[in-house]
Parts: sequence; C-alpha cells; structure tokens
Amino acid sequence: MNSFQINVFYTLLKREMWEHRLLFVGAPLVLALLILVAILWIALQPGAGFLADALRQADLAFEGLPVLQLAPFLFWAGLPFIILLYVCCIIYLLSTLYQDRKDSSIFFWQSMPVSNCTTVMSKVVTVCAVAPLATVFVLFILFCLAAMLIAVFGVAWDLEYVSYWRAVAASLVTLMLIYLSAVMSSLWLLPTIGWFLLFSAFARSVPLLWAIGAAVLIGFLEDMIFSTQYLGNWVQSRSNFNQYILFEFQEIPAKVFNYDMMIGIALGSLLIAGATYMRRFID
Amino acid sequence: METLKRLVLRNRYTLLLTVILAYVGVIVIEGTLTGREARVFDLENPYFDINIDQEYLRSRANR
Amino acid sequence: MTTIVRARSLTKHYGRFKALDGLDLSIERGAITGLIGPNGAGKTTTLKALLGLCDFDGDLSVAGRDPRSARHKLMEDVCFIADVGILPKWLKVSEAVEYVGAVHPRFDHAKARQTLAAADIGTNRKVKELSKGTVTKLHLALVMAIDVKLLVLDEPTLGLDIVYRKEFYERLLSDYCDGDRTVIISTHQVEEIEALLTQLIFIDRGKIVLDAHMSDVVERFVGVRIKPGAEEQAQELKPVYVRKSFGINSYLFENQPRDVLQRLGELYTPSVSDIFVAKMKQEDRDEFVPD
Repeated sequence: MNSFQINVFYTLLKREMWEHRLLFVGAPLVLALLILVAILWIALQPGAGFLADALRQADLAFEGLPVLQLAPFLFWAGLPFIILLYVCCIIYLLSTLYQDRKDSSIFFWQSMPVSNCTTVMSKVVTVCAVAPLATVFVLFILFCLAAMLIAVFGVAWDLEYVSYWRAVAASLVTLMLIYLSAVMSSLWLLPTIGWFLLFSAFARSVPLLWAIGAAVLIGFLEDMIFSTQYLGNWVQSRSNFNQYILFEFQEIPAKVFNYDMMIGIALGSLLIAGATYMRRFID
Repeated sequence: METLKRLVLRNRYTLLLTVILAYVGVIVIEGTLTGREARVFDLENPYFDINIDQEYLRSRANR
Repeated sequence: MTTIVRARSLTKHYGRFKALDGLDLSIERGAITGLIGPNGAGKTTTLKALLGLCDFDGDLSVAGRDPRSARHKLMEDVCFIADVGILPKWLKVSEAVEYVGAVHPRFDHAKARQTLAAADIGTNRKVKELSKGTVTKLHLALVMAIDVKLLVLDEPTLGLDIVYRKEFYERLLSDYCDGDRTVIISTHQVEEIEALLTQLIFIDRGKIVLDAHMSDVVERFVGVRIKPGAEEQAQELKPVYVRKSFGINSYLFENQPRDVLQRLGELYTPSVSDIFVAKMKQEDRDEFVPD
C-alpha cells in the first residue's frame, strides 16, 4: 500500500463516519448526557447524602489498589456504552450495503475508482476499530466531566479523597481496556459481522429479516436432517461477546491466538468475501 | 476453475447459496470432527466474582 | 484516431427480456456520441455495461480495459452522471469534494472550488437540501474537475428546466470537450444535443439501428418537400419516412442521389429527431413484414 492508497482508505473510513455520525457519535453522546443529567439530578435532590457516602466508601475501597487493578472496577461504567455500540453496529451492518442500493447512490460510489473489496473492507474496519474509537472518545468526555463533578462534590460535601488521582489514571486505562475489548469482541463476532454484511448486500428489502430468517431456517433444517445443532450453537456463541470483555492486558495473546478465534476469522472472511462479490449485482 | 467461477457468479442467488453452503458446511463438518458443540470460553475472571450485595445473597440463602 | 470503446456482440438478459441483443459498437477518442433510442431500448443497459455496473456476455473494451474485471481501475479514466440523482442525500458538498478528491488521482481541487463558487453552491449544504438542478450542477462540477478520458452521461438533464439544460450543455462543450476527451450522451431529447454531436447512434430493442458520423448523416439523409404531382415518383425512390402537414408533403430519403431528389422538390437538412422517428418506424415495418 502506498500513501495514496492509505489516504483513499482513510477517506473511506471518514465517509462511513460522515454517513453514520448519529449512530456512532450521536447515540453514545445522548447516553452520556442522560447519565450526566441523572447524576446531577440525584446530587441536587435533598437526600443526596447517600451519594456522598457512596463516594467516600468507594474512595476508601480503592485506597492502596494499584491503577491496573482499579481500572476493571471503572469498566462497569462503560458497559452500557459497549451494549449500545453492539446494537448500533448491527444497525449499521444491515444498512450499509443495503441503503446505497436502495437510494441508487451505489452508482455514484461505483463510478469512483474504488474497488468493491476496498469498500467492504472499509466497512469491516469501521465496525471493528473506528466505531469503538468513537465510543471511547465519548466515554473520555464523560469520564472527564464525571471527574470534574466528583471533584466539585468533594468540595461541596467536604470529602477528602485519597484515591482521586489514581482513579483518574485508572479511568484512562479503562478506556484502553474498553477499546481493546471492543476490537477483540468484533474479531470474535466476525462471522456474525460477515453474515449481516452478506444479507445487507443481498436483500432487496428488509435485510434484518433475511439475515435472521436464513439462520433460523438453516438451523432448523440441520436439526431435522442431521439432528445436530452445530449451527445454532455456533450462532449463539458468535453473537455473544461476554468472554471478550477484557480486564487485564495479559489476557490478550491467549484470547486472540487460539483455534476458535482463528476459525471464526476464517469463516467470517469467507462471508465478507461473499458480500464483496455480491456488490456486483445491482438492480 | 473459470467455469466454476462463472457458475457461482451467475446471479445473486447462486452466489448466496454457494457462500452459505460453504459456511454452514464447514461449521457442521468441523463440529462433527471435533465432536463438540461450538466452544464457549469458560469465564474464569476474578472481577466477575465481585459481588456488591453479599448481604442480599445471604438473606436469600437463609430464607 | 484511436478507438476508446469497442463492443462486440454484447448480450444481456433480464429474465426473458433481452435488454442487449448482440450489440456492436465502436467509438473513437474525442467523439461526442449521442446514444439515442426509445424507452427500454437498452440505452442505460449499454452505458452500465460500459461502466462495469452490470454483467453481460460478449467482448467489451473501454479505454483499453474490460469493465467487468477492472471496474475500479477503469473509473480512473471514466466518469458517469446518471439520469436520477445518484449523489447520496446525506452527503455534504464539502464532503463530496473531499471524497472525490481523495479517491481520484487526477482531481483538481481549485477547479472544483471555483466551479462550485461560480454556481453558487454553498459547501456546507447537504445534497438533500439542494434542488434537482443544483445536484446535477454539483455532480457536473465534481466530474469537470477530474481529468478523465471518457465521460458517460445518462439522460443528464432529465427533469431539469430549459435554462438549466442549455447551461449544462454549454458548460460541457466549453469546459470539457477539447477534442481529446470523449463524451457519450444518452437521451431521448435529441434536439438539445443535436448541434453538439459528432457521432450518432440509434439503438432499439438492444440492437444498433444506425451508427454514423454526423457529417455522414447529413450526406446520407435528405429531406424533400415534394412538389405537387411528384408524389408517385417520390414513392418509387422508397422514402424512409413520409410526413404530411399543412398540405406540404415532406419525404425523407436515405442514400438517394441528390440530383435525382432535387427534381422532386425543395431539399432540406432533416433534424436528428426526424431521422430517429424515420428509423424507428422503419424498424417496426421490417419487424412486421407479412410475407
């Protein structure tokens, strides 16, 4: 890849963000705003004393914990955002190769010197790496504002924090953990990503129905013919990312370099290749 | 090879069918060979054990 | 002159419907070609085949490449403006410029900005906020800033008002065509582009009905306002088309010597639309010959 091609790919990623700003930045921003408003609302209630108590207790509980061990506790604050990201990515995957065929803007994109392969790859990378980055960016803003709020509460309620700065440092580690979790989850979920992309490129209407319907139908057929549920189990395990929620950096190599991950990536790539070839059929 | 490619890329349906057959085929064959249902990692993660509400659990157990 | 588009027996089916039926075509570099045909004749399908946007059987070479296997490479040399607005609704003007500028190796940013400013298109607006005419202008501005060999226009002015349409073709002629760049325009509003064209291709039911240089067309087709009494004589020369209006009989002849025709009445140069109608009627006649 030369610098021109790198710039093309970078622009394709930007293009995805232009189109899906609301989905990838807007949605987590709204969630962050809701959380902030909720915290403020609780703090301004007359009986906010329990919040001061909770802060004090957390501060004491964190005392003496090293930053790397503190980070996983803060992870839970990010969990709603990961779930939101998961939902947004499904919406994105189902619409991304479908919408441009529906509004015939595919003819514009196809009239540009960008191959189907590069286009589809840009969409995969958007899901696996760029969308998580947007989420982490929003979380970073939320953590900054939360840190400021907690400092203000400290002054207002006369709390003397002992773990404040370590918690701030830990929150940065948490953001890294969340990002890596999301990237690794998306590798684990690559077969599902490929499946959605395939039907997004195939369906003439309601890609969601096609994608789910086909999986259910084939699973049912497998059960009837072979009396096995390999596909059902596969789909179940490949739509679930909880084993890829990371709490320690050391876990990464073992979780990436193993047989299950590799076969998932291989089969996901097969489906993504199918989606790429499917782009030839526009009508 | 060329003929096969033409056959697969004849239209959207042949392509979809081929891809899905290959995909499901590998899953089923792999499942049969390894004799296991698709494996899910065991979650041995200490941080999952942190239970905020031990009191509640104890009260449930005593009931 | 070198050939930029060469097609041999292009065939394309949509189910039972034959959109292209063994179409042969050759377009030379620098030509401004009008691809003219009734609705459903296969114009759009032909153009899509040229652009690698649909599959087909037969041999096709565009700018030295097979569109089926190297679409994205081909698009470095070819641009396309379609009949319907194909610019995505959510795209901002500035984003469109940035995108095209990044993916096209020969894109002139200054020229694009200049054209957009001249057309008074704000860079912060989204495509969905623009009128149909402005969207076409935007697309044209993007395309004009790219140094391509071949420009393909599929009914580019459909749904635009007459002022826009005139402006569009004037811009095209003055800014784009320099004798080396090739343009293919498909339309059924023939009158508008008649003066622009150097090559004329009629297409009907997936086949080429006429393929000629404009200069040849003028030679080949002659209209005659028949003198009273000369009708029978005129009929013997097998006119391709006869039109009677306000008591004047206009006959259109193909490949008949001028000196013979001159004796029948006043000669005139037929318009492309006259020739088009004549050729289409002739097709129909040939189709339903009852012998």
